[in-house]
Amino acid sequence: MRIAIAAPCIVLTVTSAWWTVGLATGGGLWPSDDVTLPEAVATRNNAEALRLIHHGADPNRAGRVRDGFLTNGYAIDVLPVEAAVAAQRADTLRMLLANGAIVDARELRVLRCLEQSRHDSGVREMLDARAAGEPDCTGISLPTDRTGSR
Amino acid sequence: MLEVAGRSKATLLSLVIAALITIPLANSLYRVPIQVSDSLEPIVVAAKADSTISLLKESIRFSPTTLRPSRYLQARWLIELAEKTRVTYTAVFRGVHVALLFVLVALFFLATRVRDWTDLTAFSVAFLVLLGIHTFAAMLFEAFPVNHYAEVGACALAVFVLAQRAPRWYVPIVACALLVIALSVIESGAIVWLTVVCCAAAGMPGIKRSTVISTTMLFGGYLLIRDQLGIVSPGVGGHGSGYGAAFYSAEELAQRFGAHPVGFMIYNVVGGLASLLFSEPRNGVYSLLVSWRAGAIHPVVTVNVLSSLATTIVLVWYATRYAHIRRADWSDADRAFLAAAVVFLANAALTAVYIKDEIISVGGLFYAVCTFIAVRALIASLPEKRAPLASALCLFLAADAALWAFRVAGVHYQLRYDAFKTRNDWVEVLREDKRDDWPHDTRELAVTQRLRTEAIERKTTSPSFLPRKGDAYWVE
Repeated sequence: MRIAIAAPCIVLTVTSAWWTVGLATGGGLWPSDDVTLPEAVATRNNAEALRLIHHGADPNRAGRVRDGFLTNGYAIDVLPVEAAVAAQRADTLRMLLANGAIVDARELRVLRCLEQSRHDSGVREMLDARAAGEPDCTGISLPTDRTGSR
Repeated sequence: MLEVAGRSKATLLSLVIAALITIPLANSLYRVPIQVSDSLEPIVVAAKADSTISLLKESIRFSPTTLRPSRYLQARWLIELAEKTRVTYTAVFRGVHVALLFVLVALFFLATRVRDWTDLTAFSVAFLVLLGIHTFAAMLFEAFPVNHYAEVGACALAVFVLAQRAPRWYVPIVACALLVIALSVIESGAIVWLTVVCCAAAGMPGIKRSTVISTTMLFGGYLLIRDQLGIVSPGVGGHGSGYGAAFYSAEELAQRFGAHPVGFMIYNVVGGLASLLFSEPRNGVYSLLVSWRAGAIHPVVTVNVLSSLATTIVLVWYATRYAHIRRADWSDADRAFLAAAVVFLANAALTAVYIKDEIISVGGLFYAVCTFIAVRALIASLPEKRAPLASALCLFLAADAALWAFRVAGVHYQLRYDAFKTRNDWVEVLREDKRDDWPHDTRELAVTQRLRTEAIERKTTSPSFLPRKGDAYWVE
């Protein structure tokens, strides 16, 4: 009977011991994730994105984002700013722009069209401040589409 | 000889269980960077002060409702330690948070005094209650540079441990020192004095009249100093708090209850007690009420309420013993249970003005102590019961322990979440696009930059990589 009552604690103790062993070997319970810059942005991890930039990651270079973060069923290669717009994160977009990300006229059009498929008022406000009128999205393939991935 | 051997094995095993479960928890806690909220400002203030004395003098005038000189002094000492030893601020400040976790676990271990296999079984349930109760998690999430609620909890639990042992000449001195430490960090340190009184009133052997008198005089002196400094207690409207199914800001509370606060204060005290006993409400908000209105109960609420309800039933069962036993016949366990129960009841009274899980965190520690005593008594009574009833009770305790173990696992999840959020908070500090807002004081800027860099350099786990259903089962 005592063993039955103590069983949940025993299970947790053994599991905790396993996590501790994992810690010693660099794993453990829910270890920190290794991500690309666009992936950090896509997972709303602004601090990791900033850390990667400080460590030399180029905020104007496309990188892989695994299936499930911005898309379902396939992975994509996108620019960090595109990941920010797709993730509907105005704060991340602002942070990227303040830390070296460059958005030219062509990319601005892509971002504004992307925002039209993933609405976010904060993102729209930031992008609209850089261009007047409605964007012309004819002929634009979105970076989050399978065909538009870089 | 056999008894001694059994005792040492059970004691050792309980220590091993406590250590193995606490080590990864300490790691999860250490992963949380120094917080921006409640930490950056006191650390900067402490770093900028000309001297410790001037900081002490200034800190007394920081707020018209609080007297927390050690909050800033401790931060300053830790900054000096970090700079002298050339280790990171994170290592020092978060190291102290972790050290306090181990101190609390060690004191709980001492308070339970595991001696035989029945004790060990009860410990295996109560220890999960200690770590899994929402007030303990709230204590771990504390954002002050040094975890003041954990300090107060450790002081109160230390008094309780002293009370369990034979009286010693130094107990009044140690109790006074613990009270001074607790009161100098936060007002709810008054619970240490309440613990002394409760232990003495329950007849626990270690606390004698001299300890009660000396700590009462000290507490009276503290109130006098507050009065002389013109420090008043915050009234309703000083902090935001929950009411019913919603959380209200300080201004909203002042508008709604400021003129007639008594009803709201009674609501808070009852809510604080209910929170300890049933895990509801949380910060004054009844999630069950929210769920009822929404038409669906969140799984985390179900797990929390069921586990607490089952444990509280065992506590109530134990408390009924007092109706049948004369005071003269009380055992040490009976006295300890009564003292611990009154401490957590009294702790609820500290929530009169507003409810926060942290305020009742000391109550949570004593709830776990009561659990140990009650569960131990229930297990010891099983052989006297009929087999079907004994089996049913055994299953009941095992199911309850399983729910608590699940809640402990959830603390890791919540700490990962907290680490992620806290690290990201630092991105908003010293923003590149707002350089005009950066501090002009060079010392303040240097300390802030160092704290920010350390936080951002510490990799955390994004919730995107955590179990998808974690929010539903572990986050309320």
